[in-house]
Amino acid sequence: MVVPVTFQTLSRNDKHATNLGLFELRLRGILLMIPIQKVVVLGANGTMGAGSGEVFAAGGCDVVFLARTIEKAHEGLVAAQNMAKSVRIADRISLGTYDQDLEEAVAKADLIFEALAEDIELKKSFFAKVDKHRRPESIVATVSSGLSIAEMALGRSESFRRNFLGIHLFNPPNVIVGTEVIPHEGTDPQLVREMVQLLERRFGRVAIVAADKPAFAGNRVGFKVLNEVAILAEEHGVAFMDYLIGPYTGRAMSPLATIDLVGWDVHKAIVDNVYAHTKDEAHEAFRLPAYMEELIGRGHLGNKTPQFGGFYRRVKEGNQTVQLVLDPKTGAYKDLREAAVRKLPWLEKIRDLHHVGRYREALQQFLSAEGPEADLARKVVFGYISYALNRVGEKEVVREVRDIDRIMGFGFNWAPPSVLIDIFGPEETIRQLERYKLPVPAILRTVSPGQKLFREPHVNIGRFFAA
Amino acid sequence: MAAPVYILGGYQTDFARNWKKENKHIVAMIREAVEGGLEATGIDPREIQVGHVGNFAAELYAMQGHLGAFLVDVDPAFSGLPTARHEAACASGSIAILAASAEIEAGRYDLALVVGVEQMKTVDPAKGGEFLGTAAWYEREAKGIEFPFPKLFGRLGDEYDRRYGLKDEHLAHISAINYSNAKRNPLAQTRNWYMTEDQARSVDKFNTVIGGRIKISDCSQVTDGAVSLFLASEKAAAAYAKKRGIALESIPRLLGWGHRTAPIEFDTKIAESRNNPYVLPHTRQAILDAFRRAGIPDVWAVQAIETHDCFTTSEYMAIDHFGITKPGESWKAIEDGTIEMGGKLPINPSGGLIGCGHPVGATGVRQVLDAYKQVTGQCGDYQVENAKRVATLNIGGSGTTSVSFVVGFA
Repeated sequence: MVVPVTFQTLSRNDKHATNLGLFELRLRGILLMIPIQKVVVLGANGTMGAGSGEVFAAGGCDVVFLARTIEKAHEGLVAAQNMAKSVRIADRISLGTYDQDLEEAVAKADLIFEALAEDIELKKSFFAKVDKHRRPESIVATVSSGLSIAEMALGRSESFRRNFLGIHLFNPPNVIVGTEVIPHEGTDPQLVREMVQLLERRFGRVAIVAADKPAFAGNRVGFKVLNEVAILAEEHGVAFMDYLIGPYTGRAMSPLATIDLVGWDVHKAIVDNVYAHTKDEAHEAFRLPAYMEELIGRGHLGNKTPQFGGFYRRVKEGNQTVQLVLDPKTGAYKDLREAAVRKLPWLEKIRDLHHVGRYREALQQFLSAEGPEADLARKVVFGYISYALNRVGEKEVVREVRDIDRIMGFGFNWAPPSVLIDIFGPEETIRQLERYKLPVPAILRTVSPGQKLFREPHVNIGRFFAA
Repeated sequence: MAAPVYILGGYQTDFARNWKKENKHIVAMIREAVEGGLEATGIDPREIQVGHVGNFAAELYAMQGHLGAFLVDVDPAFSGLPTARHEAACASGSIAILAASAEIEAGRYDLALVVGVEQMKTVDPAKGGEFLGTAAWYEREAKGIEFPFPKLFGRLGDEYDRRYGLKDEHLAHISAINYSNAKRNPLAQTRNWYMTEDQARSVDKFNTVIGGRIKISDCSQVTDGAVSLFLASEKAAAAYAKKRGIALESIPRLLGWGHRTAPIEFDTKIAESRNNPYVLPHTRQAILDAFRRAGIPDVWAVQAIETHDCFTTSEYMAIDHFGITKPGESWKAIEDGTIEMGGKLPINPSGGLIGCGHPVGATGVRQVLDAYKQVTGQCGDYQVENAKRVATLNIGGSGTTSVSFVVGFA
């Protein structure tokens, strides 16, 4: 199925638009590559559909945006233009509907990219149609953030199954470059390898291969931490937990604010899926807190429901916007200013060290800080390291530590576990894991002192630590 | 013949980062550039004898002056290190390099650290535009004018148009090349942005006109960035080479430099050059001075150029001022592919100020670091094959302070 890209597919205009120029291909030694020129996006009106469509168009593909109605498809186009900050990206995008255009577009496509709602039955019904009309060598991918790839491939033709895989982009795809490629058992291994290369070289992604397990790699590790903080918020308060596990611990955004941004419904779908279909050492960390379950039932989905809010809610008071914060115990919201948390001197010291770029010293302070709050913060951060590294292995979610590092660093904008281990040192990391009764990943025992785990070129660890 | 000045390497921060969003002080940028440079070169901080910082306007953007002193904060070994900050608008970084290299030539010091730094994303674009206006004669050319610099460089294009004719499609092509090159540079600000030649030609709600013939796609970026560079005397370079078991001859040099300052007001400059085939003759002279000092006959003795494309019109100007074409014929080198990657003489393989980004005071240092990386084969996907010598051009103001270097091997 893999044939060399033909020179005829490369036009002069592509040269400056994309990574497609002949010189480029020579330069990068990637003349052998899956030829993707025509892409169809199913569900192009959704955020992930439009965003993924933008990524493919920006990479020089001709993209067909399909939706239920032409108006919906057009909404997707406008969203893609806004992401690309370009009117002219429309030159590469055409619009259509499932009823009128799916058959023909799918028949012509090199890649059929499914970005419908996270409803496995809906997806499967579309894949049945796609299977009927696609060319045998075309690739079919789903952007699903955690549903079973194998289940989606069930009942499909042999050529469909061989050419079917997950390509999980993170939201918004034009900004967040971390990407997971998820094969199922029947996926052509060569397609997987080449897809990773293609995503990296042509579409500017940081791509890893993840196993077809619930939530894959990034969301499995990320939502374990997010949900754990949501659980702890019931006892310690929302604002306090966001302060305690704030950007200084190696993340662009505080955990509970992140759940508000993602949406509580999406959060629930991910943790419920992991809780129902996995059984690992952190099983209980995936149990959605009862207060969240109840508030979701009342329509509190985070930022997407501004009238209800999530952990936070903004309200207008006169011409002023006031930020409210949820009290998980009562379900009531109070003024964030009144609920302001007591500043912890050790934490402020760490923030100040990050502020002036002394990241290593800052994290040494994190190790030596005293008090129950410091213990709680360390338990969460070392829990992240432990859980992430335990997902590495032949029968686990990823094969190498580097995969976890890349997806946490460039999918979540969190300090990759290896960055933290490099700063703390492997021995001290093990000591802290034992101290907080966290499982010590076997891999950690093989790291010698002074050996650097994080070896991503061109990446300065400072980018992961906001003050 | 002046004593040789060797380049031992350096470090560039990721120009896509927003340091205000990370809640970082400007010293954090300086620290990353210096620590990164020490790690990249393996230089012991105790070996450094002097420090020079290039910066345009930290007083405005970050409410912080006296940046030379912040070098001392980076490492305990720097306590007592003689340092200074240098300012010449967008040429500040090159001036810092000139100061450091002059001291090495004079025999005062053997190993100098140069840092270029600018934090610009602290203010909104209009405020930033006003700050940049102080690189012109503020009272006469910038006060009360929204985005004065795009307008000044739009007028540079107008002057070309008047003297020789200028098609905007050639400017659009310059923009597209720089964005395209930036896609190969892992530290470029726009590496994941969308830009095509069609878009650069288009005027629409995203690609708006912001001054005369200058559209968004013709502009360099508002960038946070810091870059370090280590310059050494022959003695220090020989010791460095010996320690690493490499030949002194494998370490590139600052082969030549040129530095000229034209009248600050744009109208005065243009009036002065009325009967000159070159629109900015002092910039032309800075380039010729650099060639002469490097002992090279002309631009064809270099294999790549890192030039100051603060706007597409300034790169258009650079093409004929470097002598790639006759005066007024820059468009020929654009049309025939000379300046593209894989062309006869690629300009801005890094993506330049448009693609890689333009942290004002850091730009001159970034150009020389990129030149160093090119001639030592360290540019990865944006490497120009067989680059032995690379020329730079760094410009402050509206073509006011011009500094050119030739970097590489004699």
